[in-house]
Amino acid sequence: MMQSLIELSWLIPIYGFLGVLLSLPWSMGLVQRTGPRPAVYINIFMTVLAFLHGTFVFMGIWNVGGVELEIPWLQVADLSLSFDLDLSVLNLGVMELSTGLSLLAQIYGLGYMEKDWALARFFSLLGFFEGAVNGVLLSSSFFLAYFLLETLTLSTYLIVGFWYAQPLVVKAARDAFLTKRVGDILLLMGVLGLASWAGDLHYNEMYEWVKEANLTPLTATLLGLALIAGPTGKCAQFPLHLWLDEAMEGPSPASILRNSVVMTCGAYVLIKLQPIVILSPVALAVLISIGTVTAIGASLVAIAQVDLKRSMSYSTSAYIGMVFIAVGAQWPGVAIGLLFTHAVAKALLFMSIGAVINNSNCQDITELGGIWSRMPATTIAYVLGGAGMVGVLPLGGFWALQLGIDFLRREHPVLAAVFLVVNALTVLNLVRVFRLVFLGDITPKTRRSPEANWLMATPMMILSVFVVLLPFVMMRMALLPPLRYWHPWVFIALVVSGLLGFAIGATLKLNRSLSRSTDRNMRMLQDLLSNDFYTEELYRVTVVFLVRQGSRVVSWFDRYVVDGAVNLVGMASLMGGEGLKYSVSGQSQGYIFTIVAGVTVLGFLMTWAMW
Amino acid sequence: MLSALLLIPLLGALAVVCWPTKLTSQQAKNVSIVFLVLNFLASLYLLSQFDLSVTGLQFQESVPWLETLGLGYELGIDGLSLPLLIINSLLSLVAVYSSDADMRRPRLYYFLLLIITFAVAGAFVAQNLLLFFIFYELELIPLYLLIAIWGGPQRGYAATKFLIYTALSGILILASFLGLVWLSGASSFDYSATMANGLPWIQQAVLLAALLIGFGIKIPLFPLHTWLPDAHVQASTPISVLLAGVLLKLGTYGLFRFGVCTFSEVWVDLAPYLAWWAVVSVLYGSLAAIAQTDMKKMVAYSSVGHMGYVLLAAASANPLSYVGAVFQMLSHGFISALLFLLVGVVYKKTGTRDLNVLRGLLNPERGLPVIGSAMVLAVMASAGIPGMVGFISEFIVYRGSFVSFAPQTLLCLLGSGLTAVYFLLLVNRAFFGRLASTESQTGVQDPVLPVVTWQDRAPALVLVALLFVFGLSPSWMTRWIEPTTTAMYDAMPVKLDRDRHPAYRTSQLLDAPLGIADASIDVVTCSNGDCAL
Repeated sequence: MMQSLIELSWLIPIYGFLGVLLSLPWSMGLVQRTGPRPAVYINIFMTVLAFLHGTFVFMGIWNVGGVELEIPWLQVADLSLSFDLDLSVLNLGVMELSTGLSLLAQIYGLGYMEKDWALARFFSLLGFFEGAVNGVLLSSSFFLAYFLLETLTLSTYLIVGFWYAQPLVVKAARDAFLTKRVGDILLLMGVLGLASWAGDLHYNEMYEWVKEANLTPLTATLLGLALIAGPTGKCAQFPLHLWLDEAMEGPSPASILRNSVVMTCGAYVLIKLQPIVILSPVALAVLISIGTVTAIGASLVAIAQVDLKRSMSYSTSAYIGMVFIAVGAQWPGVAIGLLFTHAVAKALLFMSIGAVINNSNCQDITELGGIWSRMPATTIAYVLGGAGMVGVLPLGGFWALQLGIDFLRREHPVLAAVFLVVNALTVLNLVRVFRLVFLGDITPKTRRSPEANWLMATPMMILSVFVVLLPFVMMRMALLPPLRYWHPWVFIALVVSGLLGFAIGATLKLNRSLSRSTDRNMRMLQDLLSNDFYTEELYRVTVVFLVRQGSRVVSWFDRYVVDGAVNLVGMASLMGGEGLKYSVSGQSQGYIFTIVAGVTVLGFLMTWAMW
Repeated sequence: MLSALLLIPLLGALAVVCWPTKLTSQQAKNVSIVFLVLNFLASLYLLSQFDLSVTGLQFQESVPWLETLGLGYELGIDGLSLPLLIINSLLSLVAVYSSDADMRRPRLYYFLLLIITFAVAGAFVAQNLLLFFIFYELELIPLYLLIAIWGGPQRGYAATKFLIYTALSGILILASFLGLVWLSGASSFDYSATMANGLPWIQQAVLLAALLIGFGIKIPLFPLHTWLPDAHVQASTPISVLLAGVLLKLGTYGLFRFGVCTFSEVWVDLAPYLAWWAVVSVLYGSLAAIAQTDMKKMVAYSSVGHMGYVLLAAASANPLSYVGAVFQMLSHGFISALLFLLVGVVYKKTGTRDLNVLRGLLNPERGLPVIGSAMVLAVMASAGIPGMVGFISEFIVYRGSFVSFAPQTLLCLLGSGLTAVYFLLLVNRAFFGRLASTESQTGVQDPVLPVVTWQDRAPALVLVALLFVFGLSPSWMTRWIEPTTTAMYDAMPVKLDRDRHPAYRTSQLLDAPLGIADASIDVVTCSNGDCAL
């Protein structure tokens, strides 16, 4: 029984895709009599199936140890591609987490999207996400991971563009696709390089190859950079971070998944690639600097946002930035701990703010207020989610950050400081948002805000409990350090940074009616941050400008030079014919002369040999 | 057996023309469909009888014809022509099926379409150089008429341009064939891969150059491509489907069959330059596509870009890249046929293809939601999203060419990135947004569009299904191709030598490709940006 379940594990990612297929009749509008609900149930059922299957396999693997499943796909000439899965405890653990979050998000989504006409399409997309993410997490072949990451790009495009009639959504979907595509193309270059040089795209074989790889430093650097680029795009890291905040135009349940599961999935691939990236010290340094810039920058930008979801999405970028730092500093354990705790806490935070948005139809925090009295469960979820994410003893986030600071301070004290700063800034932002949205006076938009409906509240509560229990789970999975390694100074530093953030956040002067400061310098700083350091403008004047001008030049060249030359030849021959027409005079002496001359020349040529 | 594939469309053509009673448009269409279904079934039967263990020609037929000329009726297929033959049967059926029900001069129209099917099939199975040439030229006449009679407002110009270009291509090919036979002293035009062996390098080079330009017009490669956008824009939808799906493949097929193998000695020497040519073609086509506002023109330029990959793969000259070349021909056949089909439906329903006018076609009630969804998938397939056939064919091409020409491959990858840019613009502009949201648009475009029937959707959905079938299970495609291409590679007297070529040597040292890769990173980044709505 257990054996066959393990052997059938390839079904785990398939369940999600199967749900997509089965709900096609509803999402295509072929079946309208039943409404879209059956498609929802199919997808939720498939997710439950994947979760249960995963649980059984997890229990089996726990005793037996990891198993590799071989699934050959294509064998052409010297190229062999396979979809092999690696069923290790870690992979399955992360997979279970993602499926569980996905299940909760789907139930939540049913409550959130209840009245949307395209419910079936939405759930198909969620099912697709779930399947693809599970595949990436379980893959033992980098090719499979790449394959699915790119399909995730497509589904991101579709799900961000879910409400495609809104102009902002159209722009967001486009930016999401193109930005991720840049990362994907660069990653594809890396895949090609690895496939050619290492000859095999399995992680284990590649790790072996790295040991004796004989690449020039330049090659290794470029390879490393190409490999980093993919996760950079996927995880919305500088400079490819532009899309994440825009992607918040999509439906909230999708945002829950994106900010917790999908980001985790991109970063997880990076963690698996880390042993290859170490080929190049430059790439590692770049990884760390990308992480640092994003962590600090995004934390600051988050503080200046007035959009509830965008503010949280920037903090996601910041946290994944810390993951990048951890990977770059070669502490994958820290990275996994951070990912794990962040995913859970961020999902809860997004569920909570999703409930607020659903009730008030508003995501501008300056227009919200006093929700705590109206939606107590949501408020509790927000507080727990926030506390679980930052360094609040004894919740999960504290342990992950603590571990990171503890490891980093020995070799890179600066990076440890970055962790502390991000922690302080995140606390600041969470407190700011809490004060604006949940405390204060009731505003017109929040006057009629009943507690979230049970479909949304139930997953929220389950996840709240899970956030509280997370330290125990971590203990069980041996992600917590033993007692004797606890370092009091690290504890104190982390707690102090959190308190500092809290103090600033709690005393900061917040003005609902006038969100822009009256002080000129302050206002400029505010604008700089709220516009994300003008990154979009930067793109507009550089890459977009280049491509647009390039295409214009080529188009002009095509029209006037290439096609023009062709038309010129045509014109010339026509004009030549027209011109020659007038050489016909009609006088017989002219004709006779031509004939005689012609015959003479001919005769001359024919008798040439005799002369 | 192969003659059946030629006879069925020919008989169909005759039947449509000689039908004794009056034939309405719908009846003529039905008659053609019957014959083409038979034709398709026959080609599937051929598939089932095809023996994978034989690497050479199969189903050979040989009838002496004009022996004094060296012209013989020599037919035969291998793994190179078989899939192309089947895609020809399939797309002809799709083209006829998606033709308008009330066509002007239906007899002539369906006659010409069937003749094209016949001629293209003939070109794919012909094993005699002269016979190939006859079929190659034969396909030109009906296509010229189809554009010139049933085309758009500028049809005269486009059709003539097409005719002159392709006739020129024919002349060059004929010249090359004649030269090959005469110089090699062969007694007839029967094709064999070893014909050019023993000829001096320079003679081979001249013959190959003529072939390259001749087939380069047909493929088309920059700067020989300008007939293509015009022809596509003016041609009606079924013709575009055939033109993009099958007829362009005649160019790559011819180049691959008669150029690469026969002149492999010269081919291998020229390979680095050919790869650069492919790069230019790819980037040029992609960049030009970005600037287009006519959907059809955009798709046409994307053809220029995507056919460049075939040249890249052929130039790389290793067993994997050869599979990639053939696979890419087929996948481009499916994808571009689908794209033109969908653009055709949009045009039929909205009356325009202008991206500045179209908006919000995905609208579930009044728009074209199913066609729009199919368009999103087709576009993504073209941009190389995994799961669909475009990804794996391009991946094989890149993986094959990377070991031979790393910098060229990386630059061609940019083309993939740019594909995403222009097709995303297309989908974003035409299908997203609000249907007829501004007043200026309501005048131009009736917000309530005609209903799309299942008849409009069926061929598109079949092609979409095929995209997924071969994208998820590419081995169903490669298994037919691989034995032949491997045999072709083994038969090459000279291989792309790793030490002889400067391009290769540098890629071994990994200096040059790196510089390029660096540059490419910069350029790729620019392929992202929002190139604005």
